[in-house]
Amino acid sequence: MAILEMRDVTSGYGEVQILWGVTLALQKGQMVSLVGANGAGKTTLLRTIMGLNRPWSGQVLFEGEDVSKLPPHAKAARGLVLVPEGRQLFTNMTVQENLEMGASPKRSRADFQRNLELVFDMFPRLKDRRNQKAGTMSGGEQQMLAVARGIMASPKVLMIDELSLGLAPVLVLQLFESLKKLRDTGITVLLVEQNVKMALAVTDYAYVLSEGRIEIEGPSKAVASNPDVQKAYLGL
Amino acid sequence: MDALIRSLIDGLLLGFVYGIAAMGLTLIWGVMNVINLSHGAIIALGMFSVYLLFTALGISAYIAVAITAVLGLLFGIVIYFIAVHRVIDAPELSTLLATYAVNMIIIGVGTSIFKTSPRNVPLDLGSVHLGPAVVPTTRLIAALVAILVAAGLFLFLKYTRPGRYIRAVTDNRDAAEIVGVPSAQVLALSFGLGTMLAAVSGALIATVFPFTILSGGSYELKSFVIGVLGGLGNPVGSLFGGLILGDIESLVPLVMPTTWTPVLEFVLFVVILLVKPNGLFGGEE
Ligand SMILES: Nc1ncnc2c1ncn2[C@@H]1O[C@H](COP(=O)(O)OP(=O)(O)OP(=O)(O)O)[C@@H](O)[C@H]1O
Ligand SMILES: [Mg+2]
Repeated sequence: MAILEMRDVTSGYGEVQILWGVTLALQKGQMVSLVGANGAGKTTLLRTIMGLNRPWSGQVLFEGEDVSKLPPHAKAARGLVLVPEGRQLFTNMTVQENLEMGASPKRSRADFQRNLELVFDMFPRLKDRRNQKAGTMSGGEQQMLAVARGIMASPKVLMIDELSLGLAPVLVLQLFESLKKLRDTGITVLLVEQNVKMALAVTDYAYVLSEGRIEIEGPSKAVASNPDVQKAYLGL
Repeated sequence: MDALIRSLIDGLLLGFVYGIAAMGLTLIWGVMNVINLSHGAIIALGMFSVYLLFTALGISAYIAVAITAVLGLLFGIVIYFIAVHRVIDAPELSTLLATYAVNMIIIGVGTSIFKTSPRNVPLDLGSVHLGPAVVPTTRLIAALVAILVAAGLFLFLKYTRPGRYIRAVTDNRDAAEIVGVPSAQVLALSFGLGTMLAAVSGALIATVFPFTILSGGSYELKSFVIGVLGGLGNPVGSLFGGLILGDIESLVPLVMPTTWTPVLEFVLFVVILLVKPNGLFGGEE
């Protein structure tokens, strides 16, 4: 059974429809990438899964249960966690407080210390800056904090919008490695990533979104060798 | 000289009480960008709550203040869900109108029940010496209670989980939702706390001054002036703003007719808005 599913979901902003019947399924413990051109609707898709945008029709299922109508906080409480585009940190709070906020869901509280060590291990920079206000950190540091805050929630499914944005290439490679380790502990990861080549290289499965519709899907290797994908996204 | 110090002390004591009312206004503004136009009516309800508990039920005045605090909190949460929640994402005019409607309902019902004759809480605890000043004990206690309430709010926001949630929602409501904070409940709690502060302030004022059901209006205006002085959305600034306003109110009579007090207060209000729109203690926006 898929841990997260979208069934024929449409959604958008106000009167403007962005998603036109999206169907996808994430298997537990998979690392999946979602790629597509600017404006294809990737962020909208993640927001719709999370409930920041209500699905207009269709269903979102989490662990087999219809969660289409649940507000975002109730989804976070169940382990569906989003690292949003534009980071959305608590800029007036310290790094430490942001991490504590990440651990708001009850299910994550017992693991607080373990998760904290995990993220400080992944991003030693954050440990040095734990008492600094989030809003005063550099763009890259804020991105690290956004990912770290997501991990603090003990996610079952971790969705990351624009993972590599603002991060140095070395760090991006490290981060992919860390995410693979998370995946190996059973966490399902859904990545939206500008760097399509890298995304397809590290993930197990991939969806290509085009103008609000899933155009291509399959194991990442197969998608990477699809001539249309190579032409449109890999510049080959 | 003594008269000056006496007035200063008098003003400071009063300032704390005004300060917590303004904290209530500014807390609500800071968390949800709502200007609560029922603020004054709730201050008046706080006054009448103490008055009724004390004179009709014979409950000791300061226990009545504590009961009023709890009632204020609950009442605020109810107002939030009935009148504010449905328009919370609408343009600001809608929330202004919604809270104004609440104001009109309270004032209308209140006037028909209590008329507009002045009341007071007949509480005489003598007076105490504070340096050169002799102040009514009730006024000193009112200030101490206000300081306690302000300190309590500060600790609550800083160190408790709900307090942290309130700060998170203030900072970024969407982000708070996605980390698992039930933001609607947090907004209701914040509105309740803001209302509680107004009610407690009214309750304390009632132990010091006479009042009518319409008295809330002038204290609401004070709250706005203080809020702007201290920076809207900055509860600690409100406390200092309260002290400044309290002192203006007690110093003015030394040099000019009392009727000039509101004039000066509003001149200050306009000047601050022009020169430091984020308040005396506010940073850049
Ligand atoms: N709040 C909004 N109101 C109206 N339209 C919006 C809003 N947010 C996004 N859109 C529109 O929805 C479409 C899809 O946007 P979305 O952000 O989902 O794309 P994306 O695939 O994430 O793009 P990018 O790679 O640039 O982040 C765009 O045409 C965008 O202009
Ligand atoms: Mg996007």
